[in-house]
Amino acid sequence: MTVEMLVDTPPRGGQRLRLLLHSRSGMAGLVVVCLLLIVAVAQAVGLLGYNPLTQVPGIRLQGPTAAHWFGTDQFGRDVFSRVAAGVANTARIALVAVGAAALVGTLLGVVAGFFLKGPDAVISGVTNVLFAFPPLLLALSLASVMERNWFTVAVAIAIVYVPIFIRVARGPVMSLRGIEYVRAAISSGQSRLMIMLRHVLPNITSIVIVQVSLSLSWAVLTEASLSFLGLGTPPPAPSLGSMIYEARTLVYVAPWTMIAPGVVVVLLVVGLNLLGDGLRDAFDPRKRGT
Amino acid sequence: MSIPWRGVIRRILSMLGTLLGVAVFVFIMLRAIPGNQITAGLGTEAAALTPEQRAALEAYYGIDKPLLGQFFTWIGNVLTGNLGFSSRSQVSVLSLTLNALPVTFELAVLSIVLALLIGIPLGMLSASKPDSPRDAIGQLIGLAGLSVPSFLLASALLTILSAKFGFNPNGEAYATLTEDPVRNLRQMLLPSLTLGFGIAAPIMRTTRTALLEVRSQDFVRTARAKGVGMRRLQVRHILGNALVPIVTITGLQFGYLLGGAVVVEQIFSLPGIGRQVLIGIQGKEYAVVQSTVLVIALLFVVVNLLTDILYRIIDPRVRAE
Amino acid sequence: MTRGSRLTRGSLSLIGLGLAFAMAVSGCSSSTAGGVATSTAPKVGGNLVVGITTDPDNLYPWKATQFQAVNVLQTLYGTLTEFDKDLNVVPGLAESWTYSSDNLTVTMKLRQGVKFADGSTFSSKDVKFSLDKIKDKTTAAVAASSLASVTSVEATDANTVTLKLSAPDAALLANLASINMAILASNATEEALKTTPNGTGPFVLKERKPSQSITVARNTAYWGDKTPLDSVEFRIIPDETSIVSAMQSNNVQLAVLNDPLVAKTAQGGSLTVTKTPQLSYHVLQLNASRGVLSDVNVRLAMQCAIDRQQVLDTAALGEGEVTGPITSPAYKSDPASRPCPTRDLAKAADYLAKAGKSGGVTIKTIVSQGEYATSVAEAQNLKAQLADAKITLDLEVLASNAYVDRWVAADFDAAVALNGGRPDPDGMYGRYFTSTGNLNKVAGYSSPELDSLFAAGRQSSDPATRKATYSKISDNLEANAAWIWLFTGYTYTAASAKVSGYIPMANASVQYLRSTSLG
Repeated sequence: MTVEMLVDTPPRGGQRLRLLLHSRSGMAGLVVVCLLLIVAVAQAVGLLGYNPLTQVPGIRLQGPTAAHWFGTDQFGRDVFSRVAAGVANTARIALVAVGAAALVGTLLGVVAGFFLKGPDAVISGVTNVLFAFPPLLLALSLASVMERNWFTVAVAIAIVYVPIFIRVARGPVMSLRGIEYVRAAISSGQSRLMIMLRHVLPNITSIVIVQVSLSLSWAVLTEASLSFLGLGTPPPAPSLGSMIYEARTLVYVAPWTMIAPGVVVVLLVVGLNLLGDGLRDAFDPRKRGT
Repeated sequence: MSIPWRGVIRRILSMLGTLLGVAVFVFIMLRAIPGNQITAGLGTEAAALTPEQRAALEAYYGIDKPLLGQFFTWIGNVLTGNLGFSSRSQVSVLSLTLNALPVTFELAVLSIVLALLIGIPLGMLSASKPDSPRDAIGQLIGLAGLSVPSFLLASALLTILSAKFGFNPNGEAYATLTEDPVRNLRQMLLPSLTLGFGIAAPIMRTTRTALLEVRSQDFVRTARAKGVGMRRLQVRHILGNALVPIVTITGLQFGYLLGGAVVVEQIFSLPGIGRQVLIGIQGKEYAVVQSTVLVIALLFVVVNLLTDILYRIIDPRVRAE
Repeated sequence: MTRGSRLTRGSLSLIGLGLAFAMAVSGCSSSTAGGVATSTAPKVGGNLVVGITTDPDNLYPWKATQFQAVNVLQTLYGTLTEFDKDLNVVPGLAESWTYSSDNLTVTMKLRQGVKFADGSTFSSKDVKFSLDKIKDKTTAAVAASSLASVTSVEATDANTVTLKLSAPDAALLANLASINMAILASNATEEALKTTPNGTGPFVLKERKPSQSITVARNTAYWGDKTPLDSVEFRIIPDETSIVSAMQSNNVQLAVLNDPLVAKTAQGGSLTVTKTPQLSYHVLQLNASRGVLSDVNVRLAMQCAIDRQQVLDTAALGEGEVTGPITSPAYKSDPASRPCPTRDLAKAADYLAKAGKSGGVTIKTIVSQGEYATSVAEAQNLKAQLADAKITLDLEVLASNAYVDRWVAADFDAAVALNGGRPDPDGMYGRYFTSTGNLNKVAGYSSPELDSLFAAGRQSSDPATRKATYSKISDNLEANAAWIWLFTGYTYTAASAKVSGYIPMANASVQYLRSTSLG
């Protein structure tokens, strides 16, 4: 994305929203994600009626019925509420992780791109070090270091994604510095902070938002993979990844124990990907003004 | 074809700096994990150790020396080719790594080949008639590949195929490509299919975008006006120019594969480098994890460097600069 | 056709019929309790593939504690005494032994003509070397405390060893059967042995591929019956579900599974799954040296609030038996011999009131995750049950390394644990519940009564006397609710139809690989 494209047509919120609404895939994604989140929230506030942790050995491994829409697992727990709780858990981790990574990464990227020299050298050095690790391996190592709860898993994932946001923010900011009215503002003595807030940040929000939606779907997949390896959310808290892991032994006796979390995790990621596509289309400067 | 040497040397220097940073990072991170090699080796029996026994074991594992000393000893050893020793397996880490690396490498290469075989035709299919049902199907398959977690696909494939069809080549002892190519390829089939399906999507999307972009350019319209067939154009000119982003994205996927392979290696019991790190973490074998991660980081950085150079060589626009 | 040949043919066919009949009869033998179908003449040859989930982490017998490492070592090394399939002590490298009248001297006659894998001859100097080294603190041998009562070891002649004891120790012979007491050659060093094992066992190491497999081959110089198998390959397949897949496609012929659910999926088709009750026990350990748990009434309240069968049913699908402290068959505790044999919430409330805690108590409890299949499910059920009695279990789920760290440091109020058992009760609990035991800190409880009872148990070798003593110990532990013993589980040995002669053991030993045959 060149600087001209960023600065030429000042972005307007209403225009972007309309573009998003017109994108079929974006809307589909939005609908799917919202639906899943609604169910997850309903579970979290107890509207669904079952506690995902309650074990009732008498009704173990029953297929889907009116009472248990997704059946029961090997401990007699209701699979539907476990899946919903799993979505809530995954969503919480992904949002916290990506939110933190976006905040910290964008800030560091702006600082690096704006101030250059010293700060840039340090920040770019750290970015390169973190980038040298394959993402899952880094998340895995970090997760095994810390005491295991949902927050530390989120922190581990956040650390993996910070470098992406740093890089995403830094480039455009560096280009922006060279733009005339920014240079004018600097030489006229305006505080650096004001310049960053007024001219720089608004111009990179679109890129950051697109990156956020991309990272959300990766974060969901990473958390699920970590839980599958036994390093993510500790039991008995339900996690889609660990549910799939446990279901491997049950898949002939009770296929719904794997189908339910499997389908839901795919839906969640598909929804986030479609939403990301829609956002990207909405923010693509080449489509603006048509 | 001029290779910008100064730029390359600068890149190499910064690469070394990055690797040093990686070494420090990994070293500190491992020491932060609760427990040490004594409890990892003895488990709950470690409670029965007397202070003298504990001291003897600490000296044996080398963990009684100050941290800084341990770090520099390790770095010094690495630079002379001594990556450390695994007391679990009773072989040097170098030997472990040299056995494990080809496995993961082969897996990564086969996965990329499969991904290209799936992704490029799908991309061509989608691009041939944008916004048509054909396009939708292509995009849907790509989306599925992106969204289905590799562990889900791998578990499903393994359980169904082994129980229903008795197909489980991964239950046999692992054979390297040179030992028994047929058995090796059979054992690599499901794992590389799983991983390849996952990375086919970015390749498909990149192909589609690149094809669409190039198609609208002048020289293509001229050729079509002259009556040159679409098929020939696609394959020779369009694909040739679209190669650049495809190469770039393929290089990027390699890094993802090195990390993502750990789950697939676990499920299909492939003795690759990802599993080596996992086992090292669980067994608290500092030497194994530190040196292996360093090697992986080195590989990753080198691959990125090579991709960059390749990109500069084949991209006509960059060449012109 | 001459008369002669007709006769020959007739007699031949008669013999043939007789043979066929004999073979049919012998081939029809059904499976013995706890074993796999045996035929009279085991077929010689073949490579048996055993599925294990992880690489053995240590091939030095005196330091190995990991399940897989111990199994491999059991094929390579020998001990002075051994266990038979009913866990009775039988001769091993020691052919016979006699006690002096005061029980303070044991004279052991060693087997002759035994060779180590490197060809050297086994003799008393190897026994002296091994026992001395195990006792030596700098060796850091795991079994050192089992030789605490041995003051000296003498090689009186090439085939005799004399042990002098500081006090009678009836558990000594059983303790000598553990693989951690393997007899090594007198020139053995840890470094050398870790790469090149050198033992007197029925197998020798053939090949090792880290993270892939470890193969042992028949020891043609073994002192006992040579094993029918040519070799045994322990193949590493990271999880039990994949092992079952490999068994169903006949790549693996034998495996020991711990997860009851996985074992269920293995059943059927051509695989047989044998359930073996184990000596290891599931327990809620209490640290009586800390906080509210120092009051016996609080501990008894917990005992009365828990229905052990419910924990077993919920967490382990009923696969196991409710148990008291001692699990070995010869000294088994009566699970009903405790203040609250069944759940009694009224009594629980009484005990809490006596402790002055009618409002309830909170106990910080650690649970491991990933060590064994049922830990977290047990913890959850315990939490739910205790909540009914106003006792709150504050659960902390920890990854294996973190859990082991805390357990070893006794840094917990309560711990949900699966501890190993041993055939001899003194070997099992002596370390924990005596005030000088090296695991007493972890056990969190001791008393003068227990000290004298354990000493008494070691004094006499008369089984009847010992049984009575250990019964008293068991009752004492339950009456004081030192810990809350829950249940013993099973291990599941899955074997393909071609495997015969393998007998799973309650102490999880795979020693009967030496009599196993394929096909």
